[in-house]
Amino acid sequence: MPLLELRDVRAGYGDAVVLDGISLEVPEQGSLAVLGRNGAGKSTLLLTLMGFTRLKRGRIFFKGRDVSALAPHRRAQLGIAWVAQEREIFPSLSAEENLTVAAHPGPWNLERVFRLFPRLAERRANMGNQLSGGEQQMLAIARALMTNPGLLLLDEPFEGLAPVIVDELAGALERLDGMALILVEQHTELALSLTEDAVVLERGAIVHRARSGEFAHDAPTLERLVGLKIA
Amino acid sequence: MLGSLAGVLFDGLAYGMLLFLLSVGLSVTLGMMNFVNLAHCSFAMVGGYVSVSLMNRFGWPFLATLPMAFLAAASVSVLLERGLYRRLYRASDLDQCLLTIGIVFVSIAAYAWLYGTEQQAVEGFPPYLRGSLQFMGINLAAYRLFLVLCGFLVTAILVASLEYTRFGAKVRAAVDNQRMARGLGIDVDRTFMLTFALGGGLAGLGGSLAIEMVGLDPGFALAYLVYVLIVVSVGGLGSIGGSFAAAIVLGISDMAGKYYVPWLGAFLIYLVMVGLLMWRPQGLFGKR
Ligand SMILES: Nc1ncnc2c1ncn2[C@@H]1O[C@H](COP(=O)(O)OP(=O)(O)OP(=O)(O)O)[C@@H](O)[C@H]1O
Ligand SMILES: [Mg+2]
Repeated sequence: MPLLELRDVRAGYGDAVVLDGISLEVPEQGSLAVLGRNGAGKSTLLLTLMGFTRLKRGRIFFKGRDVSALAPHRRAQLGIAWVAQEREIFPSLSAEENLTVAAHPGPWNLERVFRLFPRLAERRANMGNQLSGGEQQMLAIARALMTNPGLLLLDEPFEGLAPVIVDELAGALERLDGMALILVEQHTELALSLTEDAVVLERGAIVHRARSGEFAHDAPTLERLVGLKIA
Repeated sequence: MLGSLAGVLFDGLAYGMLLFLLSVGLSVTLGMMNFVNLAHCSFAMVGGYVSVSLMNRFGWPFLATLPMAFLAAASVSVLLERGLYRRLYRASDLDQCLLTIGIVFVSIAAYAWLYGTEQQAVEGFPPYLRGSLQFMGINLAAYRLFLVLCGFLVTAILVASLEYTRFGAKVRAAVDNQRMARGLGIDVDRTFMLTFALGGGLAGLGGSLAIEMVGLDPGFALAYLVYVLIVVSVGGLGSIGGSFAAAIVLGISDMAGKYYVPWLGAFLIYLVMVGLLMWRPQGLFGKR
């Protein structure tokens, strides 16, 4: 049984349909890169997994359970953690409070996320709105890890970050042992190097599926579908 | 003269504490949840009448009625929140005002029908709260001292529970960004419901503490709404410290006005409000 399964999902905002006919599976501890151009529906896919869009058709199963009608906070409690594209750090909470406010007991605790992101330990007393962009991104990922999820959803975690910080984050993502990952990313090469499988979205539909390792060497297809964005 | 000044300051402080207890819940719900609840003083009235009934009909001691007043007002506010208010969280301010002012009139009519329109007389108020004590030549009414203590206690508990507990962090997170809070597994509806209950409960406590100092009749819900709104706007939305400071400033200026400039009387409090708001339009500690 896969950890996550989408069956013929159609979803959107209000009356507008953005995603249509999406079916995919993520196995236990699996990792999936979601690629695609701007406006393809990548963020909408993650929002749909969390329950923030209107599901018009199809079913979503997580841990064998139909979560299609479940409220977002119940999905999060079941073990789906979402890192939003805009980071969305709580400004009136300190960095440490951002981490603990929704924490769930498990292997990821303050000590461990501070070991992963030592910079956050230095900033723990700063308020959320006093952090730099890179620090906010680390905090957003650390905050998701603190809920000890079974599945981590990352929406363009490397967007707009300095190369050193990208390396640091990518290194951290390789050490998530045991957690399944869906990585939405425009840094195609990096995303493929961090995942096992990949899908490409175009206008709300999956237009290509591949093993990440093979896809990384399929330059023509990459160029055609995502426009090469290899650094 | 000096003795009377100290006396006025003390009485003003006690009155300010009462205003603080009545208004802090509104400051929290209005400032944090952006809900314009004009029926806040109706919750206070629920608390007041619960205390009166328990004392007069069932012979409860006054202090024992205070937790009941808190619980009753908290329950009523939860029922209203679940049944009516939550539907209007996204509605316009005008819609919220119209609904809640309607509730004010309903509550006034309901209490007038149940208890009559006259001021409630309480029997069996504890004698140790009726007396007074001398401190450095000033005569301190025991009850006012008690109000001051209650005010400080509530402030400490409230600040501690909103600033230093996980519940408080959840409330602030939900106010900052509801969607992200939900996405992390925080039950935002429940958090808001509890916050609302806390605000309503504190109003209920204020309502029952008010009986001995300012009396209780069905007009309370409207009469004190004015003061409560002044405190909240002068203090700044969502700021507990602001409400505290504003309530004390207004309490003292009201008492001082009535004592030293009787011809201005109760009007001084409005002048103070206008002055403070011209100085700081967002309120003393307001962020928005
Ligand atoms: N809240 C919304 N209401 C209505 N339409 C929306 C909303 N958010 C996104 N859309 C539309 O849905 C489509 C997909 O948007 P989405 O944000 O999922 O794309 P994306 O692949 O994440 O793009 P990007 O790479 O720029 O982040 C776009 O056409 C967008 O205009
Ligand atoms: Mg996006």
